[in-house]
Amino acid sequence: MILLEALKQKLGCAEPWVEKGGVHWLDPGPLTVRELCMEMIACHARFITITAYQLPKDEGIRLEYHWDLSGLLLGFPFLLKSEPGQTPTIESIFDLTEAVDWIEREIHEEYAIEFTGRVYEPLLLREGDALGVNLREIANICKPETGAPGQEEVKK
Amino acid sequence: MSYKIPMGPYHPALEEPYKLDMICEGETVIDAKLHIGFNFRGIEHLAETRNYIQVIALMERVCGICSNIHTLTLCQAMEGLTGQVPPPRAQYIRVIMAELERLHSHVLWAGIASKLMGFKTMFMTCFEIREKIMDVLAAISGNRVNYSMNRIGGVNRDIEDPAAILAMIEQLEGEMMRTVIPIFTTSSTARSRCANIGVLTEEKAINCGVVGPTARASGLGQDLRKAAPYAAYAEMDFNVPVEKAGDVRARLFVRALEIIESCRILRQALTKLPPGEINTGEEKFKFITGTATSRVEAPRGEVIYSVSWKENSRNPSRVHVRTPTFANMPAVRWMVMGARLADTPLIQASIDPCYSCTDR
Repeated sequence: MILLEALKQKLGCAEPWVEKGGVHWLDPGPLTVRELCMEMIACHARFITITAYQLPKDEGIRLEYHWDLSGLLLGFPFLLKSEPGQTPTIESIFDLTEAVDWIEREIHEEYAIEFTGRVYEPLLLREGDALGVNLREIANICKPETGAPGQEEVKK
Repeated sequence: MSYKIPMGPYHPALEEPYKLDMICEGETVIDAKLHIGFNFRGIEHLAETRNYIQVIALMERVCGICSNIHTLTLCQAMEGLTGQVPPPRAQYIRVIMAELERLHSHVLWAGIASKLMGFKTMFMTCFEIREKIMDVLAAISGNRVNYSMNRIGGVNRDIEDPAAILAMIEQLEGEMMRTVIPIFTTSSTARSRCANIGVLTEEKAINCGVVGPTARASGLGQDLRKAAPYAAYAEMDFNVPVEKAGDVRARLFVRALEIIESCRILRQALTKLPPGEINTGEEKFKFITGTATSRVEAPRGEVIYSVSWKENSRNPSRVHVRTPTFANMPAVRWMVMGARLADTPLIQASIDPCYSCTDR
C-alpha cells in the first residue's frame, strides 16, 4: 500500500484510493489522460486495457483506464460528456504507449468516441459500416444511407 | 523496388481468419499491417442480453481452446458482485482445470509450430499427446471442449478420484519429457528454424504491452499466478520461466518449460486436494450494483473481465473482455519486420494467436 500512496503523491491526486470490485480506483481529478499515462510509464506500470461504459440518459460515456503496477490492478475513470449530436472526445495516448492502439480503435468504432491526436485505420469495421452501432444504445450518428441497423432496429 | 504481399484472410499461417499485408523488398519484409474482425461476433453485446446462468455458457464460447479460463475469469468477477466465496476444494479444482487447459493449449501449439517448421512427425506426436490430455479433461468434466466446470461460487463437478487423474498426469508427463521437451529444447532442427527470427526486444515488448509466454520470452517476468494469485495458486510452488532472447526459439523454450511447471502444479494440486464442498450450494444470487474486474493467466497470457450489474437486473449491463491475443497480435508487426518472407508464418504462429478470442 506504500506503493499506492507514493503513486498518489506523484500524481498529485487529492482523493484517496478506493479498493472495489478487485480494482484499486483513483479519481485522477484535473490530471489529463496523457499526464496520467506519462506518470504510469515512468513508474514502470503496464497498460492493460480501456473499458467503455455508456451511462444512462445523457450522462455521457465513462472510460476506465486499467494499469498493472507490481501485480496490483489500478483503475482511473474519465467521464466524457458531449452535447447531443456531438462526438465525445478524449486525447489519445497511442504515441506514448503502443499498447493502446487496438483498444482505442475498437472503442472508437464501437462507441464513436474520438481519440484526438492519432490517425485511425479500421479495426473491426468494413467499408460502409457506421461508427457506434455495436454497443451504443442510440446510434444517433449512424448514417442511414449505409443501411447498418441501430440498436433499436435490432431489438425489433 | 518494394511490393506488397497480402497473406490471408483465409488460412494465412493458421486456420484462422486474419490478414497480414506485408511490404517486401526482395525476400525481406520491411513493414506489415494486420487486419482482424473478419468473424467479429459481438459477444460482449450478446452478454448484455443473457442472465447470470446463460452468460457463463455464452462466454465459454469466446474461445474453443481456453474456454475454461473465460468462465473462470467471468465467475470470479461475478463472485465479486454476489459476495460468494468458493470453498477451498473448488479453488483447487479450478487450478487443476486451468493447468490441464494450459497443457493442452501448449501441446496443441507445439504441434502447429512443428508443422510450420516442416517437422510433421512431431506434429503427429504432439496431437497424440494432446488427445490424452483431452481425455483427462473429459474424464473430469464429461466434455472435451466446453467443460461447463465453473459456476458462481465454485465448480459444477468434483474430482472424485484424484489418484487416478494423478496417474494419468504422471504418464503424460513421462511422454512429454521423452518427446516434446527434448526436441523443442535441444533439437538442431528447432534451433536452426527458430533461433534469431521474429525478435521482439524487451523494450518493444513493454511498449506493446504484450502478455503471457510472448512477454516472458522477451525477458518480462510477468505471470498473474505469481504476481496476483487467484484460485489456489498462492499455495502452489512453481517457477515462472523467463527467456531473454525474444525470438521464436525463446517462445518455444518458455512454453516447453511451462509444460513442466504445469505438471508440477497439477501434481501438487491433486495430492493436496482438500476435502469439502465444491460450491456454495446457492442457486439464486443477488447482485449488487457495481463493477467487478477479474484477471487470470490464460495459456496465452492475461485475460481480464470487467462485469457491471444493476441490482435486481437479470442481465449484466456490461461485460468487457480483453483477451491475450488482442494484446499480443499488434506486436507481430515488429516481429516480422526484417524477417524473411518464408519465416513469417512461423513468426505469426509463435505468439500462439487465437482469433476466436480476438474476434469475440
